[in-house]
Amino acid sequence: MSLFTICLIILVGSWVFLRFVVGGIISVPIPGSVIAMYMGLIVIAILVHISVEDSLFREFRRPILETLVDDKRRLHRRVLVVLIPLLLLGYTYSIIAQRANPPGSPRDAHPSPPLELTYKDEVIGTMQDVVNPFRHYEKDDPEAFRAHVENGKRVYHHNCFYCHGDHLDGQGHFAPYLQPLPANFQDPGIIPNFQESFFFWRIAKGGPGLPAAGTPWDSAMPIWENTLTKDEIWDVILFLSDYTGYQFRTFGEAH
Amino acid sequence: MRIRTVALLLILFGMFGVLSLTYAQNAPEASEKGKQVYENSCAHCHGTEGRGDGSAAENLLPKPRDFTRGLYKIRSTGTGELPTDQDLFDIITEGMPGSSMPPWDTALSANDRWEVVAYIKTFYDGFKEAETPPKQINLSGKVPYSEQSVETGKALYTELGCVECHGNIGRGDGTSAPDLTDEWGFQSWPANLTQGWNFRGGADTEDIFKRFVGGLAGSAMPAFEGDSFPGFGLTAEESSRMIELDNKDEMTEAEEEESAQLYEKYDAAVDIALNLAEGTELSAEEKQIYDDAMKVVYEKSWHLANYVKSLMPEKRPEPAIGNNVLRSQYIHGELPEMDNAAWETLEARYFPLVGQIVIEPRQFNPTIDAVNVKSYYNDTEVAFLFVWDDRTHTTDETDEETGKTLEDALAVQFPAKVPQGPTAPKPYFLWGGRLPVYLWHWKASAPEQVTELTAKGVNNAEVQEAQGELKAQATYTEGQYKLWVKRALKTEDKKDLQLDPGVFVPIAFSAWDGANGDVDTKRVMTSWYTFVLEPVPSSKRFIYPPVIALLSVGFLFGLRAFVQRRNSEE
Ligand code: HEC
Ligand code: HEC
Ligand code: HEC
Repeated sequence: MSLFTICLIILVGSWVFLRFVVGGIISVPIPGSVIAMYMGLIVIAILVHISVEDSLFREFRRPILETLVDDKRRLHRRVLVVLIPLLLLGYTYSIIAQRANPPGSPRDAHPSPPLELTYKDEVIGTMQDVVNPFRHYEKDDPEAFRAHVENGKRVYHHNCFYCHGDHLDGQGHFAPYLQPLPANFQDPGIIPNFQESFFFWRIAKGGPGLPAAGTPWDSAMPIWENTLTKDEIWDVILFLSDYTGYQFRTFGEAH
Repeated sequence: MRIRTVALLLILFGMFGVLSLTYAQNAPEASEKGKQVYENSCAHCHGTEGRGDGSAAENLLPKPRDFTRGLYKIRSTGTGELPTDQDLFDIITEGMPGSSMPPWDTALSANDRWEVVAYIKTFYDGFKEAETPPKQINLSGKVPYSEQSVETGKALYTELGCVECHGNIGRGDGTSAPDLTDEWGFQSWPANLTQGWNFRGGADTEDIFKRFVGGLAGSAMPAFEGDSFPGFGLTAEESSRMIELDNKDEMTEAEEEESAQLYEKYDAAVDIALNLAEGTELSAEEKQIYDDAMKVVYEKSWHLANYVKSLMPEKRPEPAIGNNVLRSQYIHGELPEMDNAAWETLEARYFPLVGQIVIEPRQFNPTIDAVNVKSYYNDTEVAFLFVWDDRTHTTDETDEETGKTLEDALAVQFPAKVPQGPTAPKPYFLWGGRLPVYLWHWKASAPEQVTELTAKGVNNAEVQEAQGELKAQATYTEGQYKLWVKRALKTEDKKDLQLDPGVFVPIAFSAWDGANGDVDTKRVMTSWYTFVLEPVPSSKRFIYPPVIALLSVGFLFGLRAFVQRRNSEE
């Protein structure tokens, strides 16, 4: 096999590997620009390899030159002189005639909260320091704790499950057609990464309370401070961690 | 040799075991485990005592099933029978689309689901008292789908009276549709048969067949089996002959004789069916008559199931997100009016609607599935066609509780100004907030009129002083609204949205079904989607590609000449 063919196989093989194996079987599809970047690197590597020695370079370009001039390769030449312009024609046409698609809207799902936690206009404390006032019952008074969790469950099934789902997995019966999708509390990356005060903020102020990075105009998450009491919000937070089995982060703890 | 035989036997037994596990299974004895699963996952809807009165039930319609009456909608069993354990297991696994009953396939293990089946059966003594297993509907005579079968089914659809509830072409808009209630006295809307994705028990032909043969126990929908069929006991030819004779203004003597004979045969078969229902032993001859009659009924039922299947698309359309956005197509000259055939050539975009449950008063139980939209534009104007199903035509009804006037309506929402760039803020999706939205508000009571509004929140909407030259036409036929709206691309009014080709504009919808109590914020809606006046494709696409192809040919020949010259020099 000639050096040229080997290089060609490496190139095509890498593309297929990136596009279909890594970006299909192993994981989600890789963006075209990332694939292009890797392919560029591979091309550079090949160029470096063939240009270190003169003999290698000559070996590499031999089949090209032969195809261009040798009489033995006349058939190859004819096929290529038709194929290459046709491929270019199709490719440029497809690029020019492509329909414009809407720009994706980048969204920060967890933008930083304000420094102060408030309920309506009442200041509760700083975001870092506020803790769930009923959390200590978990150790001190398990019975009172259960009562709060039960109340949280009631609040949840009265108000939240339409969107966040019966299993707290974000798949309520209204969820599929909301954009962005309701949060999935069963996702191990959600509850363990946040303090309870963060959740209080999100529940109290809803979508409209998000900073601009969170695209507050898109989120269907309602403002709950108008309908739920402070205690009800703390209770529903207890229920979220109790049902999913995930512990909220406490201040100072690493992610 | 011996080892191999043993291994083979083991594998065979293993396979048999697996098969019997996946095949129709019976629930285990009710246990503490089942109770636990129930109280953890089901009780907040179905109630601790199984009465369907859990704390979440208040806002739901259809209501969570009351298990104490033994009435189940989704069964593989005949009229008046209880469901099999497998039926219960399946419905718990798959959930009930179009209602709040969720699927439990991932949240509960198969084992837990069997335990909970056993537990919910304890709420109704009938399960324990039943001496024989429930009689299942025989599915063996399935008639394959064909044009002809659909035609036959269509006639039956009218004859059996499906029309009265489900409407002439199945949109759930029959004359009795608004007045139906279920066993428990709650409103029960007949299914829209063109939207199979909302069927509680699935929309395969077999599912449909089982639903009307066995009935949806507890709902307003009766079962259609046996002697409820016109011409029971007659062959297909005989029954169409009977109808033909019935429809004659005058019969000859011979025809009267023939008709009387057919009626006699029919009455005899109905008598046998009644006897059977009362538990009387049938003679061999009677049994034969009954079995023959049922064969005809089942065959007809398969035709009917095929007809219902023909009313719906293959699957629920994809929502208009991603690259599937609403693209208005450019045409030269006049834009097509509402009933112009040009609209048929466009594919509609599908915008699913959800209940508005963000702001009080909320709508937890939507009745409008989606709005379908098409659009054309030319150099000066844009026209839209909005199509949505609504079972009832409500223009002026008074809400008993609030005294407000209820009517059907649609609102189309745009930002007042198009956000510049993907990160620029949009107005709040629910009728704006700090940033205003620009709205077209249409009401069924004034079908030729669209009002322009500017809103900064649901309770802060103003009718614009300058009402532009919006043209509108609307119709309501067979349970479906069609609304056609036309506006100039550019207007004088500063509060209006101005439209330019190639610009992606956010768009959202709200809809009201008066008969479902929709008024003000109680409505169905969408969040932001995207709309664009699709630019006319650039004519460059016919110039650049050939130029590039020609250049490449030139390059290849040049290269060859260059190599040849160099070779000869060497
Ligand atoms: C109308 C649908 C809807 C309802 C009802 C709803 N939510 Fe949400 N919720 C959302 C959506 C959509 C998001 C994701 C967008 C966002 O972050 O604002 C969300 C996000 C959240 C988050 C943020 C999670 C995170 O990862 O930062 C919390 C916490 C939350 N919801 C709690 C609740 C609670 C508690 C209730 C009931 C009291 C509730 N939600 C009711 C739609 C809803
Ligand atoms: C969010 C509320 C909700 C939860 C939670 C829920 N269901 Fe349901 N369920 C419903 C509703 C609503 C219906 C009735 C739907 C209808 O009639 O169209 C229903 C119907 C049923 C039916 C009757 C099916 C039929 O053929 O009529 C069964 C059985 C059932 N549920 C079992 C369960 C079990 C078991 C669980 C717990 C694992 C559960 N449900 C959890 C809301 C719920
Ligand atoms: C008296 C009114 C009435 C008549 C007559 C009637 N239906 Fe229905 N039908 C209903 C109602 C109400 C529902 C919704 C039941 C529910 O889920 O609560 C329904 C639901 C259905 C469904 C959906 C089942 C599912 O899985 O959700 C099908 C299919 C159906 N009907 C077919 C028929 C056919 C075919 C006929 C004629 C043979 C018919 N119906 C006659 C009232 C009626």
